[in-house]
Amino acid sequence: MTTTTTQHAVSATGVWKIFNEGQPNEVTALQDVNLTVDSGEFISLIGPSGCGKSTLLRVIADLTDATKGEVKVAGHTPHEAREQQLYGMAFQQAALFDWRTVRRNVELPLELQGWDKSKRKARAMELLEMVQLADFAEHRPWELSGGMQQRVAIARSLAVDPTILLMDEPFGALDEMTRERMQNELLRIRQETGKSIIFVTHSIPEAVYLSDRVVVMSPRPGRITDIVPVPLGDARDEDTREADEFFDAVTAVREALRGHVGGAGARAKVGEV
Amino acid sequence: MSTTTADRLKFIWPPVLIALLFLGSWQLLVVVREIEPFLLPAPSLIAENFFGDLAIMWQTAYYTGTTAFLGLVFGTIAGLVMALLAQRFVVVNNLVTPLAAGLAAVPIIALTPILNNMFSITSRTPRVLVTAIIVFFPMLVNVTRGLIQVQPVQLELMRSMNAQPRTVLRVLRIPNAIPFFFTGMKVAAPLAVIAALVAEYFGGPQQGLGSRIASSAANTAYGRAWAYVVAAIITGLVFYLIVLAIERWTTPWTGRTRSA
Amino acid sequence: MKNGGVSVLWALAGVGLVVLMWELVKWLGNFIPLPFNTSDMTMPHVWTMVAAMGEPEVRGSENTVLDAVISAAFRSLTLAVGGFIIGVAVGLLLAVIMQRFLFAERGLLPFVIASQTVPLIALAPLIVGIGNRIEIGPVKWTTTYSVMFIAAYLAFFPLSVGALRGLQAPTPTSLELMRSYAATPGQTTRKLRFPSSIPYMVPALKVSAAASVVGTVVAEISTGVRGGIGRLLIEYARQITSQPAKVYVAVFGAIALGLLVAALVTALDVYLTRNLPKEKNA
Repeated sequence: MTTTTTQHAVSATGVWKIFNEGQPNEVTALQDVNLTVDSGEFISLIGPSGCGKSTLLRVIADLTDATKGEVKVAGHTPHEAREQQLYGMAFQQAALFDWRTVRRNVELPLELQGWDKSKRKARAMELLEMVQLADFAEHRPWELSGGMQQRVAIARSLAVDPTILLMDEPFGALDEMTRERMQNELLRIRQETGKSIIFVTHSIPEAVYLSDRVVVMSPRPGRITDIVPVPLGDARDEDTREADEFFDAVTAVREALRGHVGGAGARAKVGEV
Repeated sequence: MSTTTADRLKFIWPPVLIALLFLGSWQLLVVVREIEPFLLPAPSLIAENFFGDLAIMWQTAYYTGTTAFLGLVFGTIAGLVMALLAQRFVVVNNLVTPLAAGLAAVPIIALTPILNNMFSITSRTPRVLVTAIIVFFPMLVNVTRGLIQVQPVQLELMRSMNAQPRTVLRVLRIPNAIPFFFTGMKVAAPLAVIAALVAEYFGGPQQGLGSRIASSAANTAYGRAWAYVVAAIITGLVFYLIVLAIERWTTPWTGRTRSA
Repeated sequence: MKNGGVSVLWALAGVGLVVLMWELVKWLGNFIPLPFNTSDMTMPHVWTMVAAMGEPEVRGSENTVLDAVISAAFRSLTLAVGGFIIGVAVGLLLAVIMQRFLFAERGLLPFVIASQTVPLIALAPLIVGIGNRIEIGPVKWTTTYSVMFIAAYLAFFPLSVGALRGLQAPTPTSLELMRSYAATPGQTTRKLRFPSSIPYMVPALKVSAAASVVGTVVAEISTGVRGGIGRLLIEYARQITSQPAKVYVAVFGAIALGLLVAALVTALDVYLTRNLPKEKNA
C-alpha cells in the first residue's frame, strides 16, 4: 500500500451496485462509478430519481455494499471507516429520539463510543453552541421546528469529530427560506471545521451554492455523467446567490442534467429533474 | 403545551353533567314509579349499602384486586420476555403472532376449572394463573410491535454509528416500545380485574367480589349486590387510572406528534 | 390460499406440540415433584379426553359428550353473533352521533371508555335478574336475551371508538373539498367519512367479534344460563372428581368456538380490505 501525504477523503473506483442480480426485476443502481473527493472538499451529488446518488452515499457509508469495485474512506474500507467512526451522517429526517432531550440526542454517538458522562456533556454543549441551539439543550425534539431539529441532527453527526460528513438531502423537508439559512449554517460550520462533505440533493441552486464540485448523475443505469466545477471561492454569502458566476454555474449544472437525455427533442423528459 | 384551567373545564363539564342527569333520572324513576329494589334499586339504596359496609367492601375488593394484581404482574413479565424473544428470533415471531391473533376470541377463562383441579382449588394459584394467561396476550402483542416498529431511518442511523444489535435494543428498541407497553397495560389492567372476578365463579374461596355478587343476588339482597358491583367498578377504574398516571409520569412524550 | 395452508400446518404443529408437552409433563410428574397434581384424575391422558367425547353425556342418554358440547357451542355462537350485530349497530350509531355533535363526543366518550375499563361483567347476574322480570307486550325477556345484551355491551365499545376515529379520519383537505361542493353533512358522512373509516373499522370489528364471543361465554358462566358452553363448563367442572375428562372436552369446545370466530372475522377482514393498498411492515 503506497503512502501519500494527502490521501483522498473518499475514493470510488469502478463501483457497481446491482439489485436482484439475475432476476427479472434486476436493477443497476450504480454503473462503473469513479470518483475522488479531496480532503476538505465539498461535493454534491445531484440527479433525477433513480440515478443512484443516495445508493452511492450508502455504499460509502457501509449501509449497503457494492456489487463490484473498490471504495476507500480516509484510506480505509467503508466497513472499517464505519467501525472507527471516521464519518458522520445526516439523513432527510432528523431521526431524533423523542425520549431523549436535545443534548442527550447529540450525546448518542459518544455514548456508543463509551465516553464518560461529563466529557459527553461538555462536547454536546460545545456542538450545540456551534449550531446555535445551546439554549435548547434540555428541550425535547418535538418542541423544536423542523429546521432546528435538523441542526441538532447535524450537531450529532459532528459529535465524534469525523473528517468526513455524509448528508442525504438533509434540507429536503424544509421550506425555502429555512433551507437557505441552513445552507449558510452548513457553510459556516465547514469553514470552522474544514471537513470534507458529500452532499446529496435534488436542488440545483443548493448544490451550486454549497459545493466545490457538482457531480451530475443520471438513471437507468445509475452513473456519473458529468462533474461541474464551481469556482465561487471559499467566502460565500447571500450576495453570492445573486452573482453572475452563481447563475453561470447553475446553468452549467442544469445543462449537464439535461445533457444525458440527448438534446432539445427530449425536453419533456427533463421534467424528471 | 399546557392547558389552562378553562381549557380543562370544557372537557370536564359535559361528562359530569351527563353523569348527574343519569343518576338523577334513575333516582327519580325508582321513586316515582315505586320500583321494587329487586328490579332496580335506587342509587340512594346502593349508596347506603356501599357506605354502610365500607370495611367489607374494601376487604372484598382487596381480595379480588390482589388476585388481579398478581396475575397482571406475572402475565406482563411473561409477555415481556416472550416479546424480547420474538423480536430477536424471527421464528418465534412467526409462530407466536398468528397464535395470539387466533386465540383472541377464545374465552381463556374456560381454563379455570382445569387449573382448579391441577392446583389446589382452595388456593389463589389457579385464578392468578388464568389471569396471567389472559394478560399475557395483549402485552405480548403490543410490546412486540413496539420493539419491531422502529423507523428504518433510525436503524440506519444506528448502523452508521456502528451500534451492535444489543445496543440497538437498549438504546432504540426498548425506549421506542415503552408507549406500546402502556397501550397494552391499559387493556391488560382492567382485563386482569375482570378475569380475577369471573374466575371466582368456578368455586374456591368465596371472599372475592365475583362470589359475593353472585351470592348476594341469589339471596335477593339486591342493594348489597349492586354495592359490590360498584366496588368492582371502582377497582377496575383504580387499576386503569394507576396505569394512566404511571404512563403520564414516565413518558411525557406520548400523545405528541412525533418529531421528524 | 397457499398462505392459509401453511398457517394450518403451523397450527397443527402447535397442537401437536401442546399434546406432546402435556404427556411429557405427566410423565415427568412421576419422578419429579411438581407444584401441581399430575395424576390421571387431575390430568387425564390425551387419549382419555378423546375417548370421553364418545361417551354418553348422561347415563343412559343417547347424546355423547361431543354432541352436547357441539350443540352448546353452537348455541353460544348464535348468542355471540346476535350480540355482535346489536353491538356493532349501536356502536356505529353512537360513533356517528359523537362525530356529528361535539357535545356528544365530549359528554359520552369518557363513559364509553370507562365502560370498558370497569368490569361491568360483574353486573351480569343482576342483569339477568332484572331481565327475567321484564315483559314487553307478548314478548318475555329470557336469560338468553340478557346474555346477548351483555355480549352486545362488550362488543359496542371497540367498534364505537374505532368507528369514531375512522369517521374523524378524513384530512382537512378532503373536508374542504366536500365543502367546496356544497355537500350536506349527510353526504359528507356517506361519501367521505364512511369509506375513510373502513381501515379503522376492520381491526375494531375483529376486537368486537372476539369480545362478543368471550362476553357470551363469560356471561353464561357468571349467570349459569342453560344451553350454552359456559353452563356446560360449570356442570362438567362439578363432575371433575368422578369424570375428569369431560370438562376438557367442554374446554376444547370453547377454544374451537373462539378459533372459528377468529377465522371468520379474518375472512371478513380480507374481504372488506380487498381493494385497499396493502400495508408494509418494517
